[in-house]
Amino acid sequence: MTRVQEVLLELEQDYVGHPYFVTGNAVFTAVARELDDDVSVNALQASVGVFVPGTHGGFPEWHSQSGGVPYFGTSLRPVEAYEDLFLFRDAAQRWIGSSGPWDAENTHDVRSYAGRTGFTPSTWFGQPVESRNRKRTVNWYVHCFLHAAGSDRDVVPVDDEVLDGLQIGGARNFGLGETSLVDSQTVALEELDYSRVREADRLQVELVSPFVLSTEHPAADDQSVPWWWGVDDESIRRRESRLMQDGESFELETVDHGQVVPYAGSDPVGTARQGVLRVGSHSKFGFGEFRVRPAGDDRVPERDRCHTARDGGEA
Amino acid sequence: MTPDAPRASRERVDEDEVPSDESSTEPVLAAYRHDVHKLRGRAHENAAAEYAGVRVNEGVPLNADRDAALLSRPEGEPEMTVSNHRSPYRLSLVTGASAGEDVGVGEIESAVKGLVTVADPVEAHRAWLESRVASVFSESLFYPYTSLKYHTLLTAALLSNYRVGAGFEDLCLIVDDPDEDPTPHRTVLETGEVSLRVSADPEGRPAAALGSGPAMSFADVWSRLPEHPGGADGCRAWRVLDSQLRRIRSWSTALQFIEDFVAWWGGEL
Repeated sequence: MTRVQEVLLELEQDYVGHPYFVTGNAVFTAVARELDDDVSVNALQASVGVFVPGTHGGFPEWHSQSGGVPYFGTSLRPVEAYEDLFLFRDAAQRWIGSSGPWDAENTHDVRSYAGRTGFTPSTWFGQPVESRNRKRTVNWYVHCFLHAAGSDRDVVPVDDEVLDGLQIGGARNFGLGETSLVDSQTVALEELDYSRVREADRLQVELVSPFVLSTEHPAADDQSVPWWWGVDDESIRRRESRLMQDGESFELETVDHGQVVPYAGSDPVGTARQGVLRVGSHSKFGFGEFRVRPAGDDRVPERDRCHTARDGGEA
Repeated sequence: MTPDAPRASRERVDEDEVPSDESSTEPVLAAYRHDVHKLRGRAHENAAAEYAGVRVNEGVPLNADRDAALLSRPEGEPEMTVSNHRSPYRLSLVTGASAGEDVGVGEIESAVKGLVTVADPVEAHRAWLESRVASVFSESLFYPYTSLKYHTLLTAALLSNYRVGAGFEDLCLIVDDPDEDPTPHRTVLETGEVSLRVSADPEGRPAAALGSGPAMSFADVWSRLPEHPGGADGCRAWRVLDSQLRRIRSWSTALQFIEDFVAWWGGEL
């Protein structure tokens, strides 16, 4: 059984760090700092931490559950099907309902901390002075996965006491990046329902975190764009990134996350499972996570709805 | 559901075709003038047919206005999304403040007049791209983080494309060279550092398809672009901007966010 621990942390203090997500390295380091044995640290694998606003919303159509919840982003949701793992993994957080200011709820309040930009742990709405009493606050959460490599599988689940009070990002000596544990659950990848992936005629690969093409780190290899992504190398957006290890900084060249490429392989379910555990160099630190989704399953489902409505509607 | 259906529902109209009804405005100008009642803080029902000597608040042909609205706000009956902000002024995602705070009513009125009465369509497009007053207003009282300026520019861009026979599903978001002149009616944002266009032909520029129909899809389309404007590799401010854009679904909100962010963080970009 391949166990994956899903963890939701609440941001208690301001965060100064990678703006796209909390890096897998930051999540790994925060947990490793609290573990007391090298065997666990060596086996531990951490994903990137995606920012989730603690606001209202509802399950997307592709989720195994349905309906809406007032504080949807403030706790983990049931995971029965493979897709359920990705509920909070897309920065656009399309589950947020439109009865509130969805884009304002899902963008960070940016502050400057001695010249470094960072994010506040919560966002206030309704700044006008005359309505001070009607301010609404939305708190930020961080969603990540932990699993163990090799046979050291009793490393996961990591105890709640270890996960509560983790500090992520920079300026930790000043108390920044403090979090508290909100929720944690462990799923076995083999027990999930993969029928949507299995039954689709055509599939796509959605990159949830950057994929490393080249690295300065001496212990890792350069990789080419995987053959099972049906794209030519030129049409892919690349990005420079960095990995910090023991005070040293290693330059990386990556395929940037958020892109969608056709799936050209022949083992969709195996690939889907591998995407959760991640592929390529530095996958221990969050790189190389992807989701396999049916090609007809639009990332923005409303696009198709409008299309259908228009076909049957007015000219 | 056939891909050609939306296209078939629109009549093909040549760009230079003269409107048969002399009382109505040149169609692209109608797009720039279709929401003048909002610039004047009036409800649609109380919209005047004429303002400062020109016809305003007319319907926009080929459903361009409706499609542009679907890019930036939800379908169906609108709901109040920010209960303590009942104002035509936009709320800024960058500062959290009302965009109308530091603009005088007199200043707004004369700027609106100037914007609305531009007679040449190409100059009208240019005036909207550069307008500050249009960005003071949201596109709907219910959705204060949307922007009337970018709703109008998106409406004109859709109309301009539809008029030469393109369907929505043929269109792309295109990253243009900011040193080049904007493309009339198609350029939807120009800040000096970023130039974005909506058109069917990318002409070799980096582009991502808008998808099968109009929806709040900005974050998705932005994330699919094969190249982003700006220098995210070497500059943290660009990375912060990019990371936020991947979280914004509404098109007019996102385009306005780029304008506001560049103005606010300009020195660091």
